[in-house]
Amino acid sequence: MADDSLYGSLQVRPSGWDYFELDDILACQEKIPCTFETQVKDLGFLDHGSDSEHIEPATKMELPFWLAKELCARQRKIISVELPKVYREAYRQILEADATAVDLNKLGPYFYSVGGKLLEFGNAENPRIAETLMMTYMKRMRRLMDLSLNKLDGSKESQTLLPKLDHDEHNVFAFSQEGLREFEQWKQGVISKLTSSKTVINQRKRKRTEDN
Amino acid sequence: MDPSEVDFLSEKQHVKILPNFKEGRIFLISGDLGPFEPGLTAEVPLWMAVNLKQRKKCRIIPPDWMNIGQLEERKDEEKEREYFTEMPSKSYLELASLLLKSARDDIPHADEVQTLIKDIWEIRMAKLRKSINIMMQEKETHARLDNLTHLEINSIRPFLTSALDRMHILRCNVVENPSTGTDY
Repeated sequence: MADDSLYGSLQVRPSGWDYFELDDILACQEKIPCTFETQVKDLGFLDHGSDSEHIEPATKMELPFWLAKELCARQRKIISVELPKVYREAYRQILEADATAVDLNKLGPYFYSVGGKLLEFGNAENPRIAETLMMTYMKRMRRLMDLSLNKLDGSKESQTLLPKLDHDEHNVFAFSQEGLREFEQWKQGVISKLTSSKTVINQRKRKRTEDN
Repeated sequence: MDPSEVDFLSEKQHVKILPNFKEGRIFLISGDLGPFEPGLTAEVPLWMAVNLKQRKKCRIIPPDWMNIGQLEERKDEEKEREYFTEMPSKSYLELASLLLKSARDDIPHADEVQTLIKDIWEIRMAKLRKSINIMMQEKETHARLDNLTHLEINSIRPFLTSALDRMHILRCNVVENPSTGTDY
């Protein structure tokens, strides 16, 4: 890519691990298929399939990303990590064929952020994965933009699109719908009228205490 | 930013009025206004014009561009040109909607003017969306869009900033994992 150097200078990347971001924490819970490389003593109960007391080498198990990341660290390679199947070649080809038709919510509600995190494992297919993630996002953005900026929710098209969105895309959609709603309200002149706040409406009338 | 805040800011611009009262100079922080003589035009901020109009103390003289001939010309020009044309006012939609709401009787052919303004807005928004799409597909980092008005920028901002933020992260992924050229 010709613009590599440009991006290199522009990178102000949020370091990939935003400690307090709730979406990021939720994304870290996504399960990743792993294989144990060494024996782990006394933790055999974690593997429902076997009766042995320890986890034996070559046991396959799905672990959440946060655990897999630590166990796969360079100093102690307890497990080896495989790519989840939605990031493998077969799915990449589906996404390349028609990204807009895929139900990303089904592939993993945090498709993009988990995909980004998987790159940390240094898989040989990393460049391909990163490229596919970006192309998918770009192709889907067009439709998302048209739908989220044209009509307020309730249109048939957005009803079919919404369940297919990844969590990130969903946020973008909600955000821009909020902007559109404010604009429509401004056009109708609703926004300049004062309304009572919801908390006031919901709050029950204060009761008199006995001493007054 | 809220559209109503953009609206509020637009009320600072000056419009011409025809007062029907007599009043000396008024000293305000933003500058002196007046003196007002019945039948002589004066320039006041929009908020004041609307207020005076509501109390039936003046007639508002609509800006020169707010007539059918000029607006139709602008509409055609907007349609033909690939880029955005310069609008007569940085806040044409706010100004027009406020005047059409509060001083409809002062604007000749108000209904047609309203439709034309709405058409122009829609042509410009379609253009804006098209250029954003091109910008995304071409993987550009920035785009230059001259002559956009406040409200137009404001209406696209929530979508654009959040979408581009995420795109940037994905792009960083690509840059950090450069392909060696042999693996695909």
